[in-house]
Parts: sequence; C-alpha cells; structure tokens
Amino acid sequence: MAGSKVPALRLSGISKSYGKVRALDDLSFDVAEGRFFVLFGPSAVGKTTTLRTIAGLVATDAGRLEINGHDVTTAPIAGRGVSMVFQSFALYPHLTVHENFAYPLKEEGVGREEIDTRVKETAAMLKLSHRLERKPNTLSGGEQQRVALGRSLIRRPKILLLDEPLTNLDAKLRHDMRAELKRLHRQFGMTIVYATPDELEALSMGEEIAVMRNGAVVQRGTPDELYERPVDTYVAGKIGSPHMNMVRATLSADLSSLDTPLGKLLSGRKFHSGAAGEAALVGIRPSDLRPAIEGEAAVPSRVHLIEPLGDVTVVSVEAGGETLRMVLPEQSASGLKPGDAVPIAIDLSKIHIFRAASGQAMT
Amino acid sequence: MAEHNSIWETLGFRKASGVGEAGWGRTLAVAIVSFIYFLPVLFIIFTAFKPQDAALSVPPTLSPTSLFGLIPEQFVFTPTLENFGSVFMRSMTAGGAPEPTGFDRYFFNSIVIASSSVLLALVIGTLAAFGFSRYPLKGNDTYLFIILTTRMLPAIVVIIPVILMFRVVGLSGSYTGIILLYTAFNLAFTIWMMKSFFDELSLDVEDAARIDGSSDTGVFFKIALPQVIAGLAATFVFGLILTWNEFLFALLLSGPDTRTVPVAMNQAVSSGGRGTDWTLLAAIETLFLIPVFLVTFFLQNHLLRGVTFGTVKR
Repeated sequence: MAGSKVPALRLSGISKSYGKVRALDDLSFDVAEGRFFVLFGPSAVGKTTTLRTIAGLVATDAGRLEINGHDVTTAPIAGRGVSMVFQSFALYPHLTVHENFAYPLKEEGVGREEIDTRVKETAAMLKLSHRLERKPNTLSGGEQQRVALGRSLIRRPKILLLDEPLTNLDAKLRHDMRAELKRLHRQFGMTIVYATPDELEALSMGEEIAVMRNGAVVQRGTPDELYERPVDTYVAGKIGSPHMNMVRATLSADLSSLDTPLGKLLSGRKFHSGAAGEAALVGIRPSDLRPAIEGEAAVPSRVHLIEPLGDVTVVSVEAGGETLRMVLPEQSASGLKPGDAVPIAIDLSKIHIFRAASGQAMT
Repeated sequence: MAEHNSIWETLGFRKASGVGEAGWGRTLAVAIVSFIYFLPVLFIIFTAFKPQDAALSVPPTLSPTSLFGLIPEQFVFTPTLENFGSVFMRSMTAGGAPEPTGFDRYFFNSIVIASSSVLLALVIGTLAAFGFSRYPLKGNDTYLFIILTTRMLPAIVVIIPVILMFRVVGLSGSYTGIILLYTAFNLAFTIWMMKSFFDELSLDVEDAARIDGSSDTGVFFKIALPQVIAGLAATFVFGLILTWNEFLFALLLSGPDTRTVPVAMNQAVSSGGRGTDWTLLAAIETLFLIPVFLVTFFLQNHLLRGVTFGTVKR
C-alpha cells in the first residue's frame, strides 16, 4: 500500500432501509486522512444514519465500508478506532464527569493510573478540571458538550464523528465551540466527519463538504467549489446566504443568451448541453446584484423591502414580476427606501444556469 | 433539636424545610386527610397494646395516654405487651398450659417466600423487560399482552387449574411451589413496570457506550441498570406488598410447614370456638406490618427520586 494514499474512510454503495423508508441510497464518498469533512443537508437526509453506519451501530443492507483500507462493513463496533459525539450529548447520567471520561478507557482495559492521568489531561484541555466530581445534569449545556467531546477524544480516535454537536447550544456558545473544535482538530489531526444542517457551520468549518439529499451525496467539494459551481438548484439553494435568486428563463437559439422577465441576459458562455428554446432557471447570487451606475446596462426595479444586518443590508426589489434579493454594503444601501425605483446591474459572468425540468446545472 | 434532626436524616428523611410553597392551609388539609387514612392502622396498633377488656369496652378506649389530662379517663387504656407474647405462646384450651403457636415459623415463611419470589421476579423480569424494550420480537406487544392476562383474572378464577397443575407436578405444600407461583404472578407486573422504565432511557446513551467499547451485556449492567434503580426499588416494594399480603393462593397451596402469616392469622383468630380474639389479631397484624414498613422506609429515597431526571436533552 506504500505510496498510494489510502483514504481514512471510504463508503461505497451503502444502502439502508427502515421498512419502506430508504435512509441511505447507494451512498458513496471517501474522506482523506486528517480531513475535516462535513456532511451537510436538512434533517432526515440520512446524515445521522451515515455516522451511525460508520460507527457500526447500523447494519447496512448493501455496500462496503472501509477504514484505512480495511473492510469493516460487518466488523464489531469496538476496535474501529471511531468515536462519536451525539446531538443529545448522550452522557452517562449516573456517572460523574470523571467516570464519564474514564469509561471508554476502562472498557479498553487501560490501567487505573494511566486513566487518572488522561482524565486530568482531558479535563484541563477542556477547562473542566473543577467539574470532575459533578454529575452531568448539574452542568450547563456548554459544559455537557465539552464532556461529550472529552469522552470521545480521550481514546485518541482515528476518526471522530460529530452529529450536530452544536445544535443544542445557544448562539454565543456555538460560535465559541466552532473555534474550539477547529483548534482540537489542528491539535490532534484526526479525521473528522461532522454532520450539520447549518450552512454557516458547514462553510466555516468544513475543509470539504458533502451535500446530502435522500440518503445520497448530491455534490462534494470545498466550500468555494460548492458556492461557485453548484451542480443543481438543490445545492445552489442550500449554500449561500441569502439564498440564490432564481429567475425563470428560456435558452435562446444561440445557446448562450437567455430570455427572462428581466429582459435578455447575455451569459457570454455557450451551454452546449442545452437545447434551443429549453426552459431554464437563471441563478443569481444576491451578492452579484448591485445598483447600476449611469450608462451601464441595467434592469429597472423597485425596492420593496430593506433588511439592515449591520455591515451589510439585504434589499429586496421587484423587477419584471420577479422578486430579487441583493446584498449591499451598508453605506450604498443607506439612501434607499421602499418604493424607490432603482436600476440594477447583474454580474453576468457569475450567473448560474439550470435546467428547469431537472434542476441540473447546464454546461 | 439539632441532634434529633441528624438522626432522622440518617434514617432517610429529608431535612424539614418548614411549610412548603403550598402554605399552611393546604398543608393542614393534607395532614387531616392523611390522618384519616392512617386511622385504621393506628386503631389496629393501639388495639394490639390493649388489655382484652379495654379492646371491647363501650365507649371504645382511644389512647394509651391522657395527654396531660386532655383526654377523659374513660377513653384511656393501660398499654400491655401481653398480646404480643400470646402471638407466639398461648394456651390452646381453656385453662391449659401455654404452648408454642408456630407463628415464628409462619413469619419466617412469609419473609422467605415473599422476598425470594419478589427478588426472583425482579431478576428475571428486569432481564425480560430489557429484552422486550431493546430487542423487540415480531408481535412484541402481543407477548406483553399475554403476560398481563395472567393478572387480568381474579385469583379465585385461576386457582383450580393452578391447584391441578401443582398436584400433577407434586409442588403442593412446598416452598418451591408457592415461591414459583408468586414469582410468576410478580413477573407480569415486574416486566411491565421495568419495560416502561427502560423505554424512558435515552438510546443514544447506550449507543455511546457501545462505541466506547461496551458489549451488550456491559451496556445492560453498566449503563441501563444503574439508571433504573428507582424503578427497581419501586417495583420491589409494590411486588413485596402484594405478595406479603396475598391470602387465597397461600391458603390453598401452602402446607402446614409452608403456611404464611395471612393464612395462619385467619386460622388463629377463628379457631377454639371462643369467638374472635381481637387483641391477638391486632398484635399479629402489628408485627406483620413491621417488615414491609421497614423495607419501604429504607427504599423511600429511591422511590422518590429518579436518577435520570433532566440528564439528557431531547
């Protein structure tokens, strides 16, 4: 195997059904060693089932799971070198923090002194040293979260699975824990698979993101790749905030320009996979719209809603019967008020074209 | 008084925090209702200490003390321990010499039979309940329902088939027989109780233990069981009370050597043709109350407190 890079984790063609519900549908992806990998998608797309499959808690119907090149599809849970943080934290309620930390080591047969050292080390790292004798239900949400993390890290797993670990925390704590998790990842260098329905978490933490839908990966890539080149309207709608504007359009005979309610848009590219007259959707990021300067090609529009968000302002305008949202720096939106007529310019080099029927990106 | 408090605390009472949020009025109302509930028990306990004439006097004597002259003299009786002596030793014929009544044996029987059948049911039932809760069979609920049907009929209805079964296998009158019977009866209750406690636990916690390296057996003993200690205590106490007081099966299925107190009590007060000896009956009942009272008393902290409360966010 020397020379060839074996991925830390590889799922090929994994399927799992619960009765008539297909939780995982021919799911395949691999994760390089040491990568912070995010499974992203709304609830019930199979993120948790995927993590539970990797941990060995779920017996799959079909497919193959490899860890460091070894087939562990039917291997016992213990010995996979995988640990997991649950959304509910799943702390042992009858044990103290110390005993919670010690549990995986005890089950592994680690000696008492070694356990004590590592528990203290872990507690210090997570600022829990003063909480070791407490029961979980006497701790705050943030502390419980850190106990759950510590219990997973203390075994020094090769792969750490995190199932929406921040969902049960308040906004401020979430922010702190995001930084904390990145720090721990840098410090230990283990492979992390992180499931989240939160776009901000996915983009800010993931070195690589797999967008899931109906138990399968729709697209994977770096945050930039997903943002710049979404493969379909599903990914385009999930990544980027505020969401991409979608405008109905028809592809012209030259396969390059589009007829839209906003007028004719010249993309400057040729969409060879499209057909003349094909119904399409034009996706425009809110950040690719701005008020036009004089003499520039512009679409007439009327402001109908202004949402100041501090340093930026989201301005909703109506143009050709469509509602478009644009993100403007605070100072360039300051003069606008609802009802104003504003000609807007579109950055045509950055528009996305999708097939109306399938939602797939046109190339 | 401080020393007094600590004694009560070591016995399991929480430190009295005065009148709670409900206020004096409601507390008083509850105290009155509780006292009315407790009256029959109190009456029996007093009767156990009364001389025979005081027990049957009209108007009835009500108190062993005049409470510093508060209670008129004709309602006060002089307490005696004589009745407790005659539970174990008394003359069976008029004017005859005192002889052992065998009640020491009956108390021993009651304790052995009730505790072993309840414990046995607790062990088997808890394992079964975990199975029903975590590894459901096809048609799981049907089996649970069938298990409960054994408790749907009054004992008198099933007694005939049970007697016949015991005759056939030769279990009548033996400890094994009556213990097995009570175990079977307690099982239904234990399985249903414990299953509901296991159902309440977070499955994530058990999965976390599996990932941390525990076997299924380890998950049961180290993770699930410690979380349902309150449930075990409650099930144990309820089962014990039911079994301790059971009369009909014991009457028909226990032999002279395995007779339990409720059966012996019945025979003691109705034999001899002298009418019912109320003070003797009251003394037996008072003694009979002590073991269950103690067990409940020492388990009360577990009964009141669920250890899993508020530990898992859902």
